[in-house]
Amino acid sequence: MSEAGAIPAVKSRQDELYNQVAGSFGPAIERLAHAYEADPDIRRDLVQEIHIALWRSFTTFDGRCSLRTWLYRVAHNVATSHVIKQRRSKGPGLIGLDELDNLPEASRSQHTADRNQDLARLMDFIQRLQPLERQVILLYLEGMDAASIGEITGLSARYVSTKVYRIKAVLARRFNAGGRNEE
Amino acid sequence: MKNESPTNRVQEIWQCQPVEGIKMSVEEIRKRATKFEKKIFWRNMREYVAGAITIVVLGFSIARSHNLLDRSAFALLIAGMVYVMYQLHRRGAAKSAPASAAVGPSLEFYRCELKRQRDLTSTVWSWYLGPFVPGLVVSAMASAAHDWHPQHIAMLTFWYGLIAAFFVFVWRLNARAARCLNRMIDDLGVAE
Repeated sequence: MSEAGAIPAVKSRQDELYNQVAGSFGPAIERLAHAYEADPDIRRDLVQEIHIALWRSFTTFDGRCSLRTWLYRVAHNVATSHVIKQRRSKGPGLIGLDELDNLPEASRSQHTADRNQDLARLMDFIQRLQPLERQVILLYLEGMDAASIGEITGLSARYVSTKVYRIKAVLARRFNAGGRNEE
Repeated sequence: MKNESPTNRVQEIWQCQPVEGIKMSVEEIRKRATKFEKKIFWRNMREYVAGAITIVVLGFSIARSHNLLDRSAFALLIAGMVYVMYQLHRRGAAKSAPASAAVGPSLEFYRCELKRQRDLTSTVWSWYLGPFVPGLVVSAMASAAHDWHPQHIAMLTFWYGLIAAFFVFVWRLNARAARCLNRMIDDLGVAE
């Protein structure tokens, strides 16, 4: 292929990969952005920022990992930068899973089976976590296993397994009341 | 939802949450990417223009002054400003993480971002505050040499003391941030 023809070919592959990923994972990107940004307007900007970063990243996609792994790496990295920037302007406030679990919870009387309330509580919980733990919990909530989470985050399998175990315990404890009401 | 574990229920709540369905066409992304690059260009430009205006003003002050000490102070302030602008330009490339890290595993990217922030904050004295100190010291000496009246000296002490306090405040704030970032970087080792 001539050099002149190579650039449009790269561009079209980049566009094609982007369309494929955006089509399949659009809602997942929005859920991810929701976990990183509570303000709806800033969240929309973050979603767009992730889309732009993804599209740009596909110029270097070499197929050594799956598109899903690539997507989550790029999306989490953009979101992490966003959190670091926000923390710089709003000050520290993010804590670890264990620390967060030790904080007193909202009154049990507020626990209802209402899904919206549960989602709001879940978001509040996630948005207070440090970036890496937040990534593990988000990927777990997206239904990924420890090996996939490890591949995306670069965290050791042992660390991910321990974290997932802790996450399950914390979620079960925090959301058990709502679950029982539903039964 | 009988016999469903709480964690499965939470996963289901998470995955079924309503989303806006934001879609962006490739064309729109291209336009926004170009707009973003222009925004960065103009932001950098504003920094350079502000620096250039300060240099021009100080240059005029040198031309108008006949006192050697005054001229030396202005010249040192210009040198300090040029050095800081050069550092801002050099470090400008580090304002965002390298592209290779942005597509790498999150742990690597996070560490890279934290190190970048730590390096910027821990060296703030040498590249951002320190270069202005010689100019400010000579400028204080020049002002004092003009008028030895106690009231004037007291006023000078107050104003230069205020500047010194501000420098120390910025330096300590950054040093504290650097220590905090260092702890966060160390903590990441546990996750590997």
